[in-house]
Amino acid sequence: MLMQSFGRHLTMAGPERDSDVSRRYRELAREEPPRALDTEILAAADRELESRAAPLVAPTARRRWYVPLAAAAVIVLSVVVTLALQRAQEDPELQWQEETPATPKAAAVPEAEGQADPKPTEVLPPAAPAARQITPGIRAERPASPAPPLDSDTRTQPQVPSAEGNSVRRSSAESTVAPLRDELSPEDWLRQIADLRREGRQAEADAQYAAFRRRYPQYPIPQALREQVLPR
Amino acid sequence: MEVTDEQLMLDYRDGDGGAFETLYARHKGALFRFVLRGVHSRAQAEELYQEIWMRVIQARRGYRPRARFRTWLSTIAHHRLVDHWRRHEPATVSLDHEDAAALQAAAPPAAQPEHQAEVRQSLERMAQAIAALPAAQREAFLLQQEAGLSAGEIATATGAGEEAVKSRLRYAHAKLRAALDDGGT
Repeated sequence: MLMQSFGRHLTMAGPERDSDVSRRYRELAREEPPRALDTEILAAADRELESRAAPLVAPTARRRWYVPLAAAAVIVLSVVVTLALQRAQEDPELQWQEETPATPKAAAVPEAEGQADPKPTEVLPPAAPAARQITPGIRAERPASPAPPLDSDTRTQPQVPSAEGNSVRRSSAESTVAPLRDELSPEDWLRQIADLRREGRQAEADAQYAAFRRRYPQYPIPQALREQVLPR
Repeated sequence: MEVTDEQLMLDYRDGDGGAFETLYARHKGALFRFVLRGVHSRAQAEELYQEIWMRVIQARRGYRPRARFRTWLSTIAHHRLVDHWRRHEPATVSLDHEDAAALQAAAPPAAQPEHQAEVRQSLERMAQAIAALPAAQREAFLLQQEAGLSAGEIATATGAGEEAVKSRLRYAHAKLRAALDDGGT
């Protein structure tokens, strides 16, 4: 029966429409929404117009600017926050290492001195005499004994994770160059490094140079000083 | 010359409340019947119908006439119905007593009581046959009959393929024709 009807209606008003069915449906289709619903919807449409004033700029034009502007703002903000966080992480650590020589790691040093071979380290020699000359006030506050060898420090604290150990090592090295970094002009600092190299204190000069580069990554080294300063 | 639906919607977007009234008057009956035959009860239909128009109102500011207004309206209605079907059991639509009374009232006033009864029986049979259609076929049929959409536009509104829509329409018409013939009319 269904197939008979299917075949018959194909010949009537096109393959997807049976005119007789459509006519009968139109007889059926008389329902309308209640008047109260009409009133409510039209009132909502009016309220929408009152509550939201039409935009001064056409929506399409606004959208054209919104997206790139928002994207640029997000990128700039991200870069600024990232840089600020990096600086905030680096500086307090350096200051903390300088101002608190009796940290737990540093406190372990005298104990280690008794056990370890007190051979002078090649990595970090005692604080630079040059620094002592320039910043007597700061040097006076530091312990008179030379800085302990680094390898004894690491031997007494095997549990310290390597990353933290590196951090301690770097911080100790930076503590010796901190007075120079803070109080010298870049040019004077470079001259000090040159002096160190002339005195044959290459390791110390290398540490100073590394600290200098961290402090002034873009600073151009004058040609005259270049050979005397750069690591050999 | 009559203002197009799209222009009326643009006028409403730009603050002309009268344009919306005209637009609403043009489409309210077709949309209401489309929704009414897709859900269980008149109360649900009225709720959905109102929600659909609220979506239209809320979308006013970003409206751009990319398609015919009635296709756009049908798309909104389709999505709302699909949401409704997901929340509730699949629709097995039939007209309730209230709708039957409305049908009776819609019969020609001059008709005799016997003829009225005959017409009413015929219309009820048609309504039941529509209700018995699978949801996709019923939706395609109603969009064709009420919104006046072509198979391509129905495909756009419902997200189906055009060939699938044509197939649904063919089966829907065939089943309705069979139902009418079975009734001896």
